[in-house]
Amino acid sequence: MKFTLRKNLTVAAFVLPALIPLAVFWIWPIFNAAYISLTNWDYMTAEYDFVAFRQYEKLLSSGEFHKALLNTLVFCAASAVLTIAGGLGLASLLHRGFRGSGLFRALFFSPWITPTVAVSLVWMWIFDEKNGIANAVIGLFGLPALKWVGSSATAMLAVIIVTVWKSVGYAMVFYLTALDKVPKSLYEAAALDRASRRQSFFWITLPCISPTTFFLAVVTTINGLQAYDQIQILTQGGPAGSTRTLLYLYYQLGFEKYDMGRASALAVTLLLLCIALSFAQNLISKRMVHY
Amino acid sequence: MDLSVKPVKSLNTPVKRSAQLTALFYTVLKMILLCALGIFTAFPFMWMAVSALKTKPELMDVSLFLPRSPQWNNLYEVLFRSPLPRYIFNSLFVSAVTVAYQVVSGAMFAYAAVFMRFKGKKALFAVTLGCYMVPGAATYIPCYIILSKMGLLDTYTGLIVSNLVSIFGIFLLRQAFAQLPREFTEAAALDRAGHWRTLWRVVFPMTRPTFLSFILISFIGCYNNYMWPALITNRPELSLVSQGLRRFFIEGGAYGTNWPLVMAGSALIIVPLLVLFAVLQKHFIAGLSADAGIKG
Repeated sequence: MKFTLRKNLTVAAFVLPALIPLAVFWIWPIFNAAYISLTNWDYMTAEYDFVAFRQYEKLLSSGEFHKALLNTLVFCAASAVLTIAGGLGLASLLHRGFRGSGLFRALFFSPWITPTVAVSLVWMWIFDEKNGIANAVIGLFGLPALKWVGSSATAMLAVIIVTVWKSVGYAMVFYLTALDKVPKSLYEAAALDRASRRQSFFWITLPCISPTTFFLAVVTTINGLQAYDQIQILTQGGPAGSTRTLLYLYYQLGFEKYDMGRASALAVTLLLLCIALSFAQNLISKRMVHY
Repeated sequence: MDLSVKPVKSLNTPVKRSAQLTALFYTVLKMILLCALGIFTAFPFMWMAVSALKTKPELMDVSLFLPRSPQWNNLYEVLFRSPLPRYIFNSLFVSAVTVAYQVVSGAMFAYAAVFMRFKGKKALFAVTLGCYMVPGAATYIPCYIILSKMGLLDTYTGLIVSNLVSIFGIFLLRQAFAQLPREFTEAAALDRAGHWRTLWRVVFPMTRPTFLSFILISFIGCYNNYMWPALITNRPELSLVSQGLRRFFIEGGAYGTNWPLVMAGSALIIVPLLVLFAVLQKHFIAGLSADAGIKG
């Protein structure tokens, strides 16, 4: 008896230092957010009404939500596809090491560790309409100057460029590991069968690294859903809401308009999206194990 | 053995020679491509560095890459006459305390998950894994309310306590612990070393690289963190680097952004991180690659 009590105390002593903050700042807030989303609380006053799912109805039928959803889809899809394709491209160029390949790896990965706010400021100067180097460079190719973050037509493009620039090295790191794990014997067999380079890429490499691709697809999409820093610096969701993503809308509803009910409804929607994505990835990756 | 690429040298027939030429062509093409992409990647950093040393009129002249004479004064200005060093101190201090707690508590949690037997262990871990999928922003409104009720808005304590757990770190350590041969911990148990001693005297020395990866990745995350700290702090002297840099940028903006100073400020914040990364890059990458095993 005494022994079990002591054992339980030891377990508690090891688990609680992490579990208490986890419960207070992760688990409880999730339920709390779900509850707030069912009210019309405005943060300023103490009273509020329970409005059931009305916040969700209003949110999901509002034009700003639809626009933000569309922006989010465009942003997530474009940055995920470019990050993944770019990461695979870089990894294929680098995975057979040569003198200096380590330097390239470090270089491509380095933007990932820098603060998004600081590098977004640098990019903002690059994208400057009048004196930015971006316009000077595209001018060399005879293209007309763009307004970049100043126009609703190109602002999203600028945000995507910064995001991909920052995350492509991250994808590369995963692909480098994945490419090393592809069994060499498969390529040898393919070479004996006189398969071309392209054939062995499509029929050996791609299937073998597909679990990594799915992992990266989900991670970059979830990161995309949570992108805030670069948008806040480059465009603040503008011009004319053209770069306002769901998360940015959440920030504006919650911390600019103090519409806590509506913002929480949006938070729960985002949460469900992320969970659905994670489950989809788990299901697919369990069926597609190639190594 | 890579049978496909190695040409047999003695057979120097024209066919083989053309194959060698093709290989050479591909190598050259690859290097050109890599250098172009490398320049694209490094360009913002280089442009930041050269812009930081220009005068304002020089900066407006896009055709000028290097400054005529480097304006070291810009660096002096941000280093000694701006609040940026204070923001760097804030970030270093808050990150150090936060990460220290995250590592100790995370190691204990992961140790319990791997080496202890108790009821509800599976459920506990399922819940923790569940939290890993939750976007942090979804918890911001309730967390904001909790901090305001505790009177911790706009304080160092608030910045630190709201970030005491690193779920990523717990998974990273758990994975490393689970791969240890059981004999070691069992031997420690036979020696009647307590769990605490086993963790720090037996398990920790064998998983040191994982600890280092955890510390680095979590530290960088805290240091660079922007959205949450900016929401819960208001006083300028409490800003972390990201928020502080933005403040610096906006305040200068009243008279037209002073881009050389903004670039010098960005450089002040980015360059130390790049140096740290250059020295320890192996550990960053090892920590990340382990992450694939968790979610994948």
